Amino acid sequence: MDSDSVKKDIMRQALQATNMSNARILIENINKTCFDCCVSKPGSSLPGGEQTCLTLCMDKYMKAWNEVNSAYIRRVQQELSNQTISNA
Amino acid sequence: MSSSTEFNIEQSDLDKLNEKDKAELRQFFSNEVQRARVHAQTHELTTICWKKCITSSVRSGALDKSEQTCLANCVDRFMDANLLTMKHIRDMRQQ
Repeated sequence: MDSDSVKKDIMRQALQATNMSNARILIENINKTCFDCCVSKPGSSLPGGEQTCLTLCMDKYMKAWNEVNSAYIRRVQQELSNQTISNA
Repeated sequence: MSSSTEFNIEQSDLDKLNEKDKAELRQFFSNEVQRARVHAQTHELTTICWKKCITSSVRSGALDKSEQTCLANCVDRFMDANLLTMKHIRDMRQQ
């Protein structure tokens, strides 16, 4: 391996690790939130209604995550540009 | 699953890195740290704001307009509260 391929391999492995851990946290949070939302009284099985609720909740949670993510990035960028103006 | 087992790079390969690629990697990792921070904060805020904004039972996989607005406001107000807290702490220390 030359320098370039070592570099690319490190980046690839790092991205994979970060994305894995991000996905793991997201799935954990979805499980906690949606179980709470959809399964109010755990019975002897998971009824169809609760299964549907869990699927919808999962879709909705991911959309909420994206919404929050862009709102947060927007705000951080705004704070940074305010800082630059006040420091100028 | 520990992060140390996910990374598999030999010291002999690391020694092959030239200065240009080392510099590029430093930049790459500093960006990645930044990205990871934004992700962590997003996870945190989604948990907080979901509780505030998704109040009715889940009947659709989409966000309606009011939920969407609420989530964006929730993030902004949380940041306002955060800044206010920091400002108050600063003022307290100056007294």
